[in-house]
Amino acid sequence: MLRYAVQRLLLAVPVTLGVLLIGFILLNLVPSDPATVRAGPSASAEVIAQIRTEMGLDRPLWEQFLRYVGNVLSGDLGTSLVNNMPVTEELSRAFGATLELVVLCLLWALPSAILLGMFAASRRGTLWDRLIMGGSVAGVSLPVFLIGMTLLWVFGYKLQVLPFTGRGGPLWTVDGLRHAILPSVCLGLIFIGPVARMTRTSMLETLKADHVRTARAKGLSERVVIFRHGLRNALIPVTTLVGLQIGYLLGGAIVTETIFSWPGVGRLAVGAIVANDIPVAQGAIIALSLGFIAMNLIVDLLYAALDPRVQAK
Amino acid sequence: MTSHASTPAADARPARYLLAALGRDPVSCIALAMLTTLFLCAALAPWLAPYDPLQINMSRVLQSPSLDHVFGTDGQGRDIFSRSMFGLRVTIMLGFAAIFVGGTIGTLVGLLAAFYPRTDTLLMRLMDIILSFPAILFGLAVAAIIGSGTTAVIIALSVSTTPLVARIARGAALMVLAQDYVSSGRAIGLHDWTLLRRYVLPNCVSTIVVFLTLRLGQAILLGASLSFLGLGTQPPTPELGTMAAQGIGFFFFAPHVTLIPSVTIFLLVLSMNILGDSLRDILDPRLRS
Repeated sequence: MLRYAVQRLLLAVPVTLGVLLIGFILLNLVPSDPATVRAGPSASAEVIAQIRTEMGLDRPLWEQFLRYVGNVLSGDLGTSLVNNMPVTEELSRAFGATLELVVLCLLWALPSAILLGMFAASRRGTLWDRLIMGGSVAGVSLPVFLIGMTLLWVFGYKLQVLPFTGRGGPLWTVDGLRHAILPSVCLGLIFIGPVARMTRTSMLETLKADHVRTARAKGLSERVVIFRHGLRNALIPVTTLVGLQIGYLLGGAIVTETIFSWPGVGRLAVGAIVANDIPVAQGAIIALSLGFIAMNLIVDLLYAALDPRVQAK
Repeated sequence: MTSHASTPAADARPARYLLAALGRDPVSCIALAMLTTLFLCAALAPWLAPYDPLQINMSRVLQSPSLDHVFGTDGQGRDIFSRSMFGLRVTIMLGFAAIFVGGTIGTLVGLLAAFYPRTDTLLMRLMDIILSFPAILFGLAVAAIIGSGTTAVIIALSVSTTPLVARIARGAALMVLAQDYVSSGRAIGLHDWTLLRRYVLPNCVSTIVVFLTLRLGQAILLGASLSFLGLGTQPPTPELGTMAAQGIGFFFFAPHVTLIPSVTIFLLVLSMNILGDSLRDILDPRLRS
C-alpha cells in the first residue's frame, strides 16, 4: 500500500510541472501587456518600461520560466494587478472557502447517492427504482445555475429560512454552517445523479456474483449480505466514477460560488479573468488544477484501500 | 463497441430500425418530440420569432408573460420568447461546433494511434494528459488567454472532447484492423490512406457518432455554464446561458428572465440525454434483451 502511494505521488510530479508550464504560458500568451495594465491607462512610455524591468518582463523567456517556477515553489505568485495584494494571500483565503464547500457537499451527497442507488437496486423494476433513475437523468441535465437560483428563490427569498450570500464564518459556527447549507446542497444535487446511477448498476452486478449467493446460502441476514458482501465490492466502480466526477464537481463549484457570492477560488478566478487581472487568474487556475490533482490522488488511494487487487500489484 | 455487432435488420435500414425501436418506449418518444420541437424553433427562429431579439423597448421593461409577449420581456424590454429562439440557435451551434471540431481531431488522432503503433504511446499519453484536466479549467484558461467570447467556449469544449473521442476511435479502429478484409487490403497493396479512408473509418463511424450524441448534451451544458459566468458569448447576442445571467440582477421580482432560458437548456439537455441513453441501449447488443 505504501509503495503504491509513493508511486502514485511520484506520478503527480510531472503533471504538476505541466500545470506550472500552462500557468506560465498563460501569463505570456495574453494579448494585454501586464506592465501596461499595472501602470494604468494614463501612464507614460517610460513608466511602463520601468515597470517592465521591475517585473523582469525584459528577460529571455526561459529565464522568466525558471524564475517563475522558483517563485511558485517558494509561494510567490506575484501581486494582483487590480488591488496590488499578494496573489498567495488572496488564494489562501479563497482556497479554504472552496475546500469547505466541496467537503460539506461530499459529506451529505455521497452517502445519500450511495443509499439511493442501493435502494433502487434492491427495489429493481418498481416505481421507486424508476423514480430514482428518472431523477438521476434529470439531475445530470440540470444546469447548475438553475438549481442554484431555484434554491435561492425558495429558501432564501420566499421562505427566508437560510442566508444566501457570502460566507458566515468558520463551518463549526452556527452562522457559518447556515451560510454553507444552500451552496453545498446546490453543488451536491448535480453530484447525486450519476453516483446513484452507478451504485445501482454496480450493486445489481455484485448481487449476481457467486460470493453473494454463497453468503445467502450460509443463511446470513439480507442486511449483512447487502452491506458487508455486496456494498464493499459495488463501491469499487463507484470510487472510479467519483474520481471522474471531480472535474464536474469543480465546474459546479465555480458556478455555485458565483451564484451564492461564496468567496472561493472559482469566484476569484472568474472575477480575475473578467477584470483582466492575469496574475490572480493564473494563480487561481493553478490552485484549482492542483486541488483537482490532489483530489484524484486521494480517490486513487481510496481505490487501492478498497480493492486488494490494486495493492497486490 | 457497437459497430460490427449490429443485427441484419440494423444493417438493412438503420434509420427505420432505430425509429421503430425508439417508438416502443413512450419516454423516448416524448424526448424525441421535445428535441424535434426545440431544433425546429432554433432552425426557424428568423421566420417564427414574433419580435427582433435585439430590439430594445424601454417602455416594456421586465413584463411578465402575457399574450403580447408569451415569455415576457427582459431588463431592456426585449421579447424573451424571440430571444430564447435565437439563443437556442447559438447554444446548439456552440455544442455542435465543439462536437464537430473535437470529434474530427479526436477521430484522426485515434485512427493514427491505432494504425501506426509507433505513434500510439506518444499520442495516447498526450490525450491522457489533456483528459486529466476538467473541461471547465480549459474554459477559464482559454478565456484568460484570448478573452471571453464564443470562440473561447468552442476551443475549450473542443479541446476537452478530443481525448475522449480519440480513445473511442482508437478502440473501434483496433477492432476493425484485426479483421481479415483489412489484411486483404494490405495484401493487394492498398495505400495506407485509402485503407483508412475507405475501410477503417466507415466501420468506426457509428461507434463514434453514438458517443458524440451522448457528449453533445454535456457540451451544451458546459458551454451554457461558461456563458453564464460571463466567459462565453457576450451580450447583446442572445445565448441561453448569457440570457440567464442577465436576469440575475432582478431575479427576485422578475424571476422569469433567468428561469425561462435556464429551463429551455434543461429541456434540451434532458431530451438529448434520454435519447442518447436509449440509442446506446438499442445499439449495444449486450444490453439488448
